[in-house]
Amino acid sequence: MIAVIGAGPAGLSAAATAAERGEKVLLIDSSPRLGGQYWRHLPSNWNDDRSLHYDFSKAQALFDRVLTNPLITRHSNAHVWQAEKNDGVFTLFVVRDGVEEKVIADKVILATGAYDRSIPFPGWTLPGVMTPGAAQAMLKSHGVLVGKRVVVAGTGPFILPVAAGLADSGAEIVGLYEANNPIRWLLNLHGFILNPSKIAEALYYMKKLRKHRISIRFGKSVDSTSKGFATVNGKRVDCDVVAVGWGFVPDLSLAGILGAQLKVDGDGTVVVAVDSHQETSVPGLFAAGESTGIGGSTLSMIEGVIAAGGKGKFARWRAQVFARGLQRVYPVPTNWQAKLNDQTIICRCEEVTLGDICSSVDELGAENGRTAKLFTRAGMGLCQGRVCGRNVSEIVAAKRAEKVHDSERMGGAQRPTAGPISLGELGDGLQKKF
Amino acid sequence: MQTADAIVIGAGIVGASCALALTNAGLKVLVLDRGPVAGGTTGAGEGNILVSDKDPGPELTLALRSRDLWFEMQADVGDSFELEAKGGIVVARLDDAPLKAFASKQRSAEVDAIEVGDKELHELEPHLTRDITSGILYPQDSQCQPMLAAAHVLQTVRQRGGEVVTGATVTSIKTVDGKVVGVETSKGSYSSPIVVNATGTWAGEIAQMAGSHLPIAPRKGFILVTAPAPKLIHHKVYDSDYVANVASSDADLQTSTVVEGTRAGTILIGASRERIGFDGRMNVDILRRLAAQATSLFPILRDIQLLRAYRGFRPYAPDHLPVIGEDALVSGLWHSAGHEGAGIGLAPGSAHLITQQITGVTPFMDSTPFSPRRFQVGVA
Ligand SMILES: Cc1cc2nc3c(=O)[nH]c(=O)nc-3n(C[C@H](O)[C@H](O)[C@H](O)COP(=O)(O)OP(=O)(O)OC[C@H]3O[C@@H](n4cnc5c(N)ncnc54)[C@H](O)[C@@H]3O)c2cc1C
Ligand SMILES: Cc1cc2nc3c(=O)[nH]c(=O)nc-3n(C[C@H](O)[C@H](O)[C@H](O)COP(=O)(O)OP(=O)(O)OC[C@H]3O[C@@H](n4cnc5c(N)ncnc54)[C@H](O)[C@@H]3O)c2cc1C
Repeated sequence: MIAVIGAGPAGLSAAATAAERGEKVLLIDSSPRLGGQYWRHLPSNWNDDRSLHYDFSKAQALFDRVLTNPLITRHSNAHVWQAEKNDGVFTLFVVRDGVEEKVIADKVILATGAYDRSIPFPGWTLPGVMTPGAAQAMLKSHGVLVGKRVVVAGTGPFILPVAAGLADSGAEIVGLYEANNPIRWLLNLHGFILNPSKIAEALYYMKKLRKHRISIRFGKSVDSTSKGFATVNGKRVDCDVVAVGWGFVPDLSLAGILGAQLKVDGDGTVVVAVDSHQETSVPGLFAAGESTGIGGSTLSMIEGVIAAGGKGKFARWRAQVFARGLQRVYPVPTNWQAKLNDQTIICRCEEVTLGDICSSVDELGAENGRTAKLFTRAGMGLCQGRVCGRNVSEIVAAKRAEKVHDSERMGGAQRPTAGPISLGELGDGLQKKF
Repeated sequence: MQTADAIVIGAGIVGASCALALTNAGLKVLVLDRGPVAGGTTGAGEGNILVSDKDPGPELTLALRSRDLWFEMQADVGDSFELEAKGGIVVARLDDAPLKAFASKQRSAEVDAIEVGDKELHELEPHLTRDITSGILYPQDSQCQPMLAAAHVLQTVRQRGGEVVTGATVTSIKTVDGKVVGVETSKGSYSSPIVVNATGTWAGEIAQMAGSHLPIAPRKGFILVTAPAPKLIHHKVYDSDYVANVASSDADLQTSTVVEGTRAGTILIGASRERIGFDGRMNVDILRRLAAQATSLFPILRDIQLLRAYRGFRPYAPDHLPVIGEDALVSGLWHSAGHEGAGIGLAPGSAHLITQQITGVTPFMDSTPFSPRRFQVGVA
């Protein structure tokens, strides 16, 4: 049996492809519904949701293939919290609707996606400041509009659909700020030539934005926020919500637990290393989608197909060229640290400030993110450094006029557990003789 | 500094305490570590400073003195490492007679060990399971944040003229006529007539570099960390099996619970003991056993989420006593290592003892049981 973990574009494609090739598939996802991050939707009215999704028909087709194939079993509300491989067989420990189960599989396809990358600035922990992903998720899966007057900022193509989606649902977008300059698009011309459908997608969002009279301000970003307004390149902008995102961070917990080789991508993002079949360094363990490198839903779907044994290497190459181009067009500006002051919180779970981290370096001799964490508790809280880990490493390295070591970046992406489990459920596993 | 009065290898809590004691005795000290400060086992354990788990004997004598020295070190360095006399409670699940007998032996060795009955026990720990009706309170048991302690202690060493060089791997110990003259590192060589080996689990490697030997091996341990919760647990609470495990030589897995809340609201649940070398893999069954034991002591923990688990390698010697003293084969080479699951608690005491020996002051206790000689001379 093949276990596919994650039911986003990559996992759905992998599950459908594998089942159509005659394999038995178990599709496990922690959300209540299929779709992952991108195709998140409300429980009942997926059909009324069209306006929130650009490639709705693609999603619908995949959902249909997955839902109608008798070889696919689905486990929703099911979180793989731990995994092992012994004697060539994978054991997944899954908490489904609060109860732990064991799943045995010969092959595992990880399609666990990514989450938004946050970068701190003064005021980023105030209520009303969030990531574009969070704003979009509220809308797509709960039908909740996060605010009336919204600033959307950061970098990358993803901020456009978020602004468009919020505007479509009745929010006033008081500012849409892209930190990078449009001239950088020249860096990805070949990506567009190879992927003309991406031009159509970009135009689709541009048209929507124009309809709502939203213009993109380039080269600008949020300096700080206070109650009721944001400061953007020195100017005050009144608003009640600020959504700022800086690209994505792949979720590598399970890959790390199973011992798969990780690697550092060009822009410092840690990803799972895979071969041309999407197989990781652990035989039988495959990875597809954002966990192998941020590339968007099209590339994720292609990778899902290949991971399940299907074809598409040329299409993958084309989409990868586009994805790499995006990395060049939308780097995170290197000056983000200049906006911070000593009181700025860097780790929000443990309320550790920039001043705390700097004194751990100056006074206690912290030399890297790990020691700074041991001395300040940055990254020891609820999110376990998912939000701040990379930022702490970069702050410490900058203070020491060094670069973050690849080994530290990869170490920082490892998590000993891949999700929550209660102590009661964990202990009860002894009786269940797992 | 290319020359020092003493070189300490290892910037864990044992090396840091030792560097401070030597500095305070007037020596110019150089501390070397291949990694950062507190990057070894000191950054992978808990911060218990315990007397409750020790049988009367040399280790308990050292532990009692060391516990007081922790508070002296705090007075010297500053209140910067969360030192707190929190107190420990040991409970027995089935028969509490052995527990009471153990406590009475300890009392004769000047340990405060107070028997508490049903009512008082549940006042001290309101969420403890009602199945347990008696326990022993050890008010001397304390805790600290060991990584912060090592860092602040070494900062004080620097302020008093010592030096700390990190990222310097010691690759050889230089000797002339059986006497230490210095060390070779990845960052250059340093000379000194005194070298203190405080490399914990790796102490055998350093001994070997000098042509001697020490049988220090790793004993792996896992700790569970829960998501932050309101204050549910007020002391360190141990299952009495813990005491039996600590003293055991059994290579098989042992788990027995120590449950405690931290200032940050997370709850730490330790710890397993296994002797399987440096095998870093996660073992789900061990996590289950720790969780089952903790929730049976404190049923309220059933609904608390596991946040993470981590592991470290305790440095242990075959007789479970630390190795503190001069090498029997190489003069000028001193060891303070092999403190197993008590290196945090025993660090300042060991530092005091070795400094007295190095500077020729009569030691506060008989140091023979800790001497490296026991593994080096007259053994086949
Ligand atoms: C918040 C957000 C919004 C986005 N919006 C857009 C957009 O509008 N347009 C666009 O082009 N791209 C968007 N992207 C990028 C797009 O999501 C990705 O390209 C695409 O979703 C990647 O697909 P995937 O299958 O790799 O992962 P995902 O779609 O992220 O799916 C991963 C799934 O795995 C599940 N999962 C993770 N770990 C476990 C586990 N241990 N056990 C069980 N299940 C697990 C998750 O719950 C999730 O459902 C967005 C990304 C994010 C993070
Ligand atoms: C799970 C667990 C829980 C524990 N709980 C407690 C507790 O509650 N209370 C308690 O008292 N103890 C506890 N311990 C034990 C305690 O952590 C150790 O005994 C103690 O940290 C040992 O300190 P150390 O300074 O000797 O070693 P370390 O902290 O390991 O320091 C040794 C240093 O030597 C360096 N080194 C090694 N080789 C070289 C070389 N060739 N060149 C240069 N440098 C080198 C290393 O980099 C390292 O930094 C626990 C241990 C574990 C694993």
